[in-house]
Amino acid sequence: MTLFLQQLSNGTVLGALYGLIALGYTMVYGIISLINFAHGEIFMIGGFAGLTMYKYVLPDSFQRKAAIALPLVLIFGMLCSIIVALLVERFAYRPLRAAPRLAPLITAIGVSIALQELIRLNYPGAKAPVPFPRLISRGAIHPGGITIAYVSIFIVVVAIALMVLLQGFISGSRTGRAMRATAQDPDTARLMGIDTDRIIVTTFVIGAALAAVAGVMQGMRVGTVDHLMGFTAGVKAFTAAVLGGIGNIQGAVLGGFVLGIVESMATNYMPHGSAYKDVWAFVVLIMVLVFRPNGLLGERVASRS
Amino acid sequence: MNLRQLLDRGTALSRQRLAARVLPVGIAATALTVAGSFTPWATFSGYPGKASLAGFPGGARIFTLLLAIGMVAALLRPVGGRRRAGLLCAAGIVAISLANAWSITGQGGGLVNVAYGVWLAAVGGALGVAAFAALPDDEPVALRPHWPRAVEYALLAGVVGLGLYAVVVALAIGEPSRFLSYLVFLGFAVSAASAVGAMALLPKLYNRHQPVALGLILLAGIAFPFTQNGNATWLRVAATIGTLTVAAIGLNIVVGLAGLLDLGYIAFFGVGAYVGGIFSGAGRSSIHVHLPFLVVMLLAALIAGTFGLIIGAPTLRLRGDYLAIVTLAFGEIFRIVANNLDGTAGPNVTRGPNGISGIPDLKIGALDIGAPHTVFGVDLPYFANYYFLELLMLVIVMVIFSRLNASRIGRAWVAIREDETAAAAMGINTIKLKLLAFAIGACLAGAAGSMSAHVGTQVSPESFTFIESVLLLAAVVLGGMGTIPGALLGASALAIIPEKLRFLQDKRLLVFGIALILMMRFRPEGIVPNKRRRREFHDETGGGDAMSAAPGGPVAT
Repeated sequence: MTLFLQQLSNGTVLGALYGLIALGYTMVYGIISLINFAHGEIFMIGGFAGLTMYKYVLPDSFQRKAAIALPLVLIFGMLCSIIVALLVERFAYRPLRAAPRLAPLITAIGVSIALQELIRLNYPGAKAPVPFPRLISRGAIHPGGITIAYVSIFIVVVAIALMVLLQGFISGSRTGRAMRATAQDPDTARLMGIDTDRIIVTTFVIGAALAAVAGVMQGMRVGTVDHLMGFTAGVKAFTAAVLGGIGNIQGAVLGGFVLGIVESMATNYMPHGSAYKDVWAFVVLIMVLVFRPNGLLGERVASRS
Repeated sequence: MNLRQLLDRGTALSRQRLAARVLPVGIAATALTVAGSFTPWATFSGYPGKASLAGFPGGARIFTLLLAIGMVAALLRPVGGRRRAGLLCAAGIVAISLANAWSITGQGGGLVNVAYGVWLAAVGGALGVAAFAALPDDEPVALRPHWPRAVEYALLAGVVGLGLYAVVVALAIGEPSRFLSYLVFLGFAVSAASAVGAMALLPKLYNRHQPVALGLILLAGIAFPFTQNGNATWLRVAATIGTLTVAAIGLNIVVGLAGLLDLGYIAFFGVGAYVGGIFSGAGRSSIHVHLPFLVVMLLAALIAGTFGLIIGAPTLRLRGDYLAIVTLAFGEIFRIVANNLDGTAGPNVTRGPNGISGIPDLKIGALDIGAPHTVFGVDLPYFANYYFLELLMLVIVMVIFSRLNASRIGRAWVAIREDETAAAAMGINTIKLKLLAFAIGACLAGAAGSMSAHVGTQVSPESFTFIESVLLLAAVVLGGMGTIPGALLGASALAIIPEKLRFLQDKRLLVFGIALILMMRFRPEGIVPNKRRRREFHDETGGGDAMSAAPGGPVAT
């Protein structure tokens, strides 16, 4: 039982991160039907940018004060990720908006490879995983005999707070309403006076900011960042988005948590689970597509061509 | 005389005046470029092509000279599209000379090491740009060839021969700077030729005499090992890449014809490679069973095809994007599983990260593929045997491809690719046909993979990463989707260029990623585009098909 609860807690932390990244996938897919392959790299850049802030910008005296260092690291990570995402959107995706679907997808793969390599080649020491500061004290609480690190609590709290904020923004604000309209029908939205280009940019900005936060928190959790961290995380987050029902924001969050928990359970309870750690998410993906292709919360028939 | 006529006369006059200036400026530009091509480019010896010596166009200088000849031709022959052709030639001269100036500066240590010849050529090119920019823009005349059959055959043979020659020259160039100059030259020269409509001729001839054209290409393929004079370097590369080329054509069926995006295609190739390795009687295999190669190949195709069905059946019911992500997932699963089936976590099938090694050379009947031969006095290293075998496979796969393409099934695939709903409404069983395309693609990859096990003598999981799948996809897209010459061209370009650009070292992946982005931006239809696909990409009004479906999907809240 202790083991089960422990895995549940680990899975929840993992799921919070997957959910944060999945939101970016699901929003972009919802609006321009593009699997933004480079989103995993935006997450990775968030982590690296946060590290840069901590290691190269902050003076020693600030590094030890989590209350100052943590927000600065997060904000700088978000800023860098947003800038990169905007550049990618402007120069790689936008020119291809009218092109057949294959073209932007291949572009996205190209962007993903290029960003990975740019970091690997240019970031000092990035040819191997780079140590990431803990930022939060190493302590933990022990309810019912399990261990929950402070970092884990921080991750889940921040992730849920951001998800609630996003939900409020999408359902409550004017821009949020415009986003929903654009997702439903971009042409009609334009006729209603919505600047769809601006909405698409906003979507990329929000997705990048969330991914950057996830990237920094992933660094804090694992203790390192590396240039490939975006690939697996990205594919899994996309799986989470599909699991929840692509285009559906609550679905992405739910999918993230379900996937995180399933992965963490399978790693522990399946035979040789840990050797196949990264396989379980994909097995879940295929299962979802077989039995519930619209995802957990999707209502729409997904086979629209 | 009304105003309109007056204006017309005015423009005609100014055009005459401009044209009168174009000729002298253009000739001056050519003269400068030619002078630059015969004078030293570097102040130090050791730069490729004896560039410090005057009197002959060595190294990259031959390319500026050739482009200068192109410039003169565009200047003197009033053909349609000569403005663009001339501009391209002139721009090519500028690009090559400046690139070499940069490279000489890097190698020599400073700008002082760049000799005056480079600047002469660069200025000549710039003048050429100015001269041709003043010409009025004109469209190339659409050539409608109806020459005697023999002439058209000769033309095709000439083009194929030129292609082979271009490849052999590319392979023979050792220095990176010269190779880059060559690539730039080829790019600008081919673009210039296409500006005057010469390139539009090729598809017409190709389509009219397809069997002859393919036969000629095959002949060029057979001739290739004889151009290497017993040197094994490039034959080894060719043999290694040959199996991937076969796979690329298989992928071309899946992506190019049926429009299904497969991002884990290398996994099917990997399945084939493992089957090929395990049953080859390899020294380090998990099962010591040795089957004849043809049986193994069939087995590999069958097993890979079965995996294709397993993956395809649930996902092909859904829209294309899901397929992309599921195939990617399958590719990753395959790699992770292959890495783990070593006896500790699950049965010992793949020997884990060590892989299966010591795979012997092929023996088909009495034919020993591992032995070198001498034919017509030319030594053929044993890689040539693999090369010829792969050529045979390639021919078979190409026949399958073109027969499928021309069949009812092929037309159904194209219909599905263009608009799945409409295709279904026409009575096409879309799921069954998509599954068929997917399974055929997987089978071909499996067969190619079983061969690759023997060429490479070992099979291990790290050869089957996501990047390899992207590389295969890039070969198909780069060459031109849905065409055979395209797939051949794409695969060979992706084989040769990385080998030649070794100086980039670990920047190669970065360059590859950027190249993907640029290619999709500027020439998404590939080098040898399918006619229909070209229109799809460049026709502004032709929207409304499945692949350019209006974006949009709900963000439900």
